[in-house]
Amino acid sequence: MSAQRWLASSAGLLPLVGLLGLWELLGTADSPYFPPPSTWWNAVELLNASGVLLPELLETMETFALALAVAIVVGSLLGLAIGALPPLQRATSPLVEFCRTMPSAAIVPVAVLLIGLGRSMAITVVVFAAVWPIVLNTAAAVRSLSPVLHDAARTLGLPAGARVRKVLAPALVPGLLLGVRVATPLCVIVTLLVEMLTGTGGIGSLLVQAQRNFISAQAFGLLVVVGIFGYLVNSSVNLIERRLLRDWPPRATAR
Amino acid sequence: MAARLRWLNLSGALTMITVVGAWQLAVDTGLVDLDYLPAPSEVAQAGASGLSSGELGSAAAHTLAVSLVAWLIALVVGVAAGVLIALWRPARVTLTASVEILRTLPVVAFVPIAVLIVGLSTTMEIAVAAWAAMWPILVNTRGGVDAVPARLHEVAAVFRMTALRRVRVVVLPAAAPLVLVGARLGLSFALIVTVVAEMIGNPAGLGYQIVRLQQALRPDEMFAAVVVIGLLGIGLNAALLALTTRVAPDMFEPGRRA
Repeated sequence: MSAQRWLASSAGLLPLVGLLGLWELLGTADSPYFPPPSTWWNAVELLNASGVLLPELLETMETFALALAVAIVVGSLLGLAIGALPPLQRATSPLVEFCRTMPSAAIVPVAVLLIGLGRSMAITVVVFAAVWPIVLNTAAAVRSLSPVLHDAARTLGLPAGARVRKVLAPALVPGLLLGVRVATPLCVIVTLLVEMLTGTGGIGSLLVQAQRNFISAQAFGLLVVVGIFGYLVNSSVNLIERRLLRDWPPRATAR
Repeated sequence: MAARLRWLNLSGALTMITVVGAWQLAVDTGLVDLDYLPAPSEVAQAGASGLSSGELGSAAAHTLAVSLVAWLIALVVGVAAGVLIALWRPARVTLTASVEILRTLPVVAFVPIAVLIVGLSTTMEIAVAAWAAMWPILVNTRGGVDAVPARLHEVAAVFRMTALRRVRVVVLPAAAPLVLVGARLGLSFALIVTVVAEMIGNPAGLGYQIVRLQQALRPDEMFAAVVVIGLLGIGLNAALLALTTRVAPDMFEPGRRA
């Protein structure tokens, strides 16, 4: 079974592998446009040997992780409030809609002017771009709560703490996690975007530097690094979500 | 009538007015004293003069045109590839994993690569924006075609339809709601990536305007350009949503489908 699946998915990789192979065979090492894949590795290895790659990668990861954490806290609180109070939802929906559809790139220069360059600016921009799916999914989860749940909790005389733990959290966590899953790739992209636009450090600014200096092998190599980073982050968030939701909802609510 | 009132959303409009009013007041009274925060009135003034000089308008027209051209290319390629992958087994087997890998590469990282390969040009903008917009269209088209009931395929077989006719008459209409969802996502991706490409690469359009005005420390004009980008995003989204409700009204009233 697993061998079969492995075979099936590796067949799907054929076009990509074939393209890269052809590229390797036909490309010349000093091509300014299409450097062959083998030169990518050398270029990235050179960056690594000069001690530049790892600190920048760490910087990107830190910004990403902090921003995602802030987005989860802020987003779930806003989502709870908006979902629980329909008048508030109505009143804020045009504002939320405007902020949500605002292309994130456009707010980078605004944040640079208002906050100045630095990590807090980067985190502000990333949170501003990635918080909305968490807000909207949490709010939707709150709205879809059955009133019976509230009634049951009241009938049982559950204290507030137990009500949150036994009724609200089990019902709301799946919606919140869905929001987090949508927000994660946004966080990765906007973190890179801020770095690319401000050039103040991180993998994103390395990538733009490589482009400006016409070191195309390095640019392609960094694209692969960025791709692997994004893939790892997304798949670990998916894994965490699946783990948490494997036995969800807890038995008590299922009965 | 009720729907019309709901659309108006008085409390929502009031919130917007309050936010803008509070911003104006905060700047006027010096309550918020940031060096580069213009009052809304200054932004409006800058926007008006930008529009009358034609500078803002032509930048917006450039960005809009590039986004739309890129989106149209993405629509054609994405729908064709999505249908092919969904209906033709060899394509499905050989392409799925490659699509998954390429799709998850962070889109913005392609902009410097495109600048290297294509250079600083409008073609570069269109290329990256189309690349970004293609994936949600492809994935949603494939999902929509996968969900076409087997019965419809059987009907097409009974009528001995050719493959092309089957796609046109049976598959695409049945998959239209999901294709349109992908198209809407793709359009917002196209706009975002166009702006990014203008900020990093091609010196044209609203993206370049914003960067230039920021570096020139002209916050009022910069805010005006940002507002125009926001309005473009909302306008494009609303236009496509209106089109969607017209083409596939069932989507929003699932009860009518039965």
